[in-house]
Amino acid sequence: MVEHVDRDQGGVAIEHPAAPSPRAPGWRRLDSGRWGRLALLAPTLLITTVCFVVPLGLIALYSFGSVNQVDFNVFFGWTTGNYRAFTSNLYLHTLARSVVLSISTTLACAVIGFTFAYFISRQSPKAQRLLLVAVIVPFWTSFIVRTYSWVDLLQNLGPIDRFARALGLHGHIDLLYTQYSIGIGILYSYLPLMILPIYVSLERIDPALFDAAEDLGATPWRQFRRVVLPLAVPGLIAGIIIVGVPALGEYVIPQILGGGKTLMAGNILADQFLQTGNYPFGSALAVSIMVVLMVLLFLLRRAQPAADAQ
Amino acid sequence: MKTDEPISLDPLTRAALLRRAGTGALGLSAASLLAACGSSGSSSSSAAGGSSSAAITGQAILANYPGWMGKHNLAEFAKKYPGASIKMISNATSSTAEVVLQFKSKQYDFLLADTSDAGQASAANLITKLDWSKVPNVKNVAQQFRTAYPWGLPTDYGKVGIAYRPDLVGGATITSWHDLWELIPKYSGQTVFIDLERDCMGSTCKYLGFSSNTTSPDDLKKVQDAIVGVKPHLKAFLNTDVGAGLVNGSTAMAMDWDYDVALLQQKNPKIKWVLPDEGVHAYLEGFTAVQDTSKIAVIQAFLNFLAEPVQYADFVNTTGTAFLMPAATPLVLKSISQNPVLVPTKEVLAKTEFDKYLGGDGATLWSNTWTAIKAA
Repeated sequence: MVEHVDRDQGGVAIEHPAAPSPRAPGWRRLDSGRWGRLALLAPTLLITTVCFVVPLGLIALYSFGSVNQVDFNVFFGWTTGNYRAFTSNLYLHTLARSVVLSISTTLACAVIGFTFAYFISRQSPKAQRLLLVAVIVPFWTSFIVRTYSWVDLLQNLGPIDRFARALGLHGHIDLLYTQYSIGIGILYSYLPLMILPIYVSLERIDPALFDAAEDLGATPWRQFRRVVLPLAVPGLIAGIIIVGVPALGEYVIPQILGGGKTLMAGNILADQFLQTGNYPFGSALAVSIMVVLMVLLFLLRRAQPAADAQ
Repeated sequence: MKTDEPISLDPLTRAALLRRAGTGALGLSAASLLAACGSSGSSSSSAAGGSSSAAITGQAILANYPGWMGKHNLAEFAKKYPGASIKMISNATSSTAEVVLQFKSKQYDFLLADTSDAGQASAANLITKLDWSKVPNVKNVAQQFRTAYPWGLPTDYGKVGIAYRPDLVGGATITSWHDLWELIPKYSGQTVFIDLERDCMGSTCKYLGFSSNTTSPDDLKKVQDAIVGVKPHLKAFLNTDVGAGLVNGSTAMAMDWDYDVALLQQKNPKIKWVLPDEGVHAYLEGFTAVQDTSKIAVIQAFLNFLAEPVQYADFVNTTGTAFLMPAATPLVLKSISQNPVLVPTKEVLAKTEFDKYLGGDGATLWSNTWTAIKAA
């Protein structure tokens, strides 16, 4: 059955196969097959429920409990004490420190990542492939090993310090076990996750747009500002989410490069589960951090349509 | 004096432990004192009492500090008991709760635990009492330590003091915790503290003139304030390689364990060790079996094996720890057995206080204070 005929520029008739009408018997059969559709959804629903909904529900449940700190058995007395404890200056200060550190490292990642992604996108296809491999290669090594390597690099009398001394710089460049070392660790570890989505956005830009902009008299800077940047925003926002969210809850990097004294919220949270055994308070911290993250993501989601509109 | 004679140890303090053992032996080392009153002839016992090697099979999992085992202990044990082995999983634990949670996790068959850890695990019914008839070599360990550590095989003890490089602090002489606290801001970023609740806070208790087993909320609040006050000037809280930076000069001062400093001094003689005037906090630790472990036969065989003087000497020579088996003294390296850092005098013992289990409320208070210190 031919539902309609298009004619191309040469006047040749092109027959499209008929799209199934909602009223067609076959479609009706599919429409009525609710069980079939549910069956198709089942694996996803199961994974989502088991891996996300149930654990989150348990965490929420635990956050209202209390713990016997001798045997670490948890009791559910429905107390809000864990949330009240979190609102003490001590923990709010830590959360604020985490937010500032994660935002600053995410911004640094964005600036460096954008620069590098733009550089890659302007290379020949062969050079692009090589540079992308270079971005991905660090992932072939263990994350822990890569983080520990920074201990050697950053420590007092380490290579960076010695290099600075060789240049005649006075004093020690003792970055290890500071907030700077945590920032450097996060920047280094998460940079590839920023570069890749930005690169994808930049790589999709039609080169003809640059020609058009040039023909219209746009300077290179104006081309970048009016063409490249707006079209890269979706990749930039994706990169910010991919980097910013885990950076806020980062635990391993502050543990290794923070020297146990520059703790982020992720460390305090992990300590509740691993060191002090206070699961209810740890759960309250986790829920609170999730709320903060959801607010940040909500704000980013609101920024996304505006970026798309541009 | 018979070492097998039970000694009342309440409260458990190193001074009480060893002063009694060392009565009339002023100036001798604790090991020598204990050797002097130790049970002679006990060192030769090596059989796993009543257990034939054929009956001991399976792999027991041990949670332990990194490298806290003799170089040859595990291999020699596997050779002696072909069907049995020990799988050691290294953890640098930082709190009593962490160790007790490991007892509870059922991931391990036995653990290295100090008196606080094992005491709390015992209070929570998380340990298996050993059948000492299967560990006859335990008699090689001085009775005082066996009494003080009844949950398993006591393996070692240590004191927390100050290690520093005079050349990096302007030639200053440190003799007390007060000296350290005063110098920390002056040499900001060059001091390391131990990242272990009991040792770090216990030492700070000594600095403030408290018992290192205090459970007074007021005392602990002052401890918290004292640590948080200098925290911005600390280089780090570390629980492994605490004083490593003293060797190359990247650290000038450290709150550190005696065994660690004894090893570091071999690498750099400029490192000085101080037992502060106000007193020192100390620990006693050993291997304790987890409740309902199915590998109890392997564990008991291993502990009996480790309590052989030859094997124990390997443990001591590898870890460099202060030791508690007089019979092993001839086999221990002289750099350890005659090291003044590791061998306490009577005066040192008099100002040494051992940690003990603080009870549920006390443990909770310490744990919460430690969390607050780390979060600040």
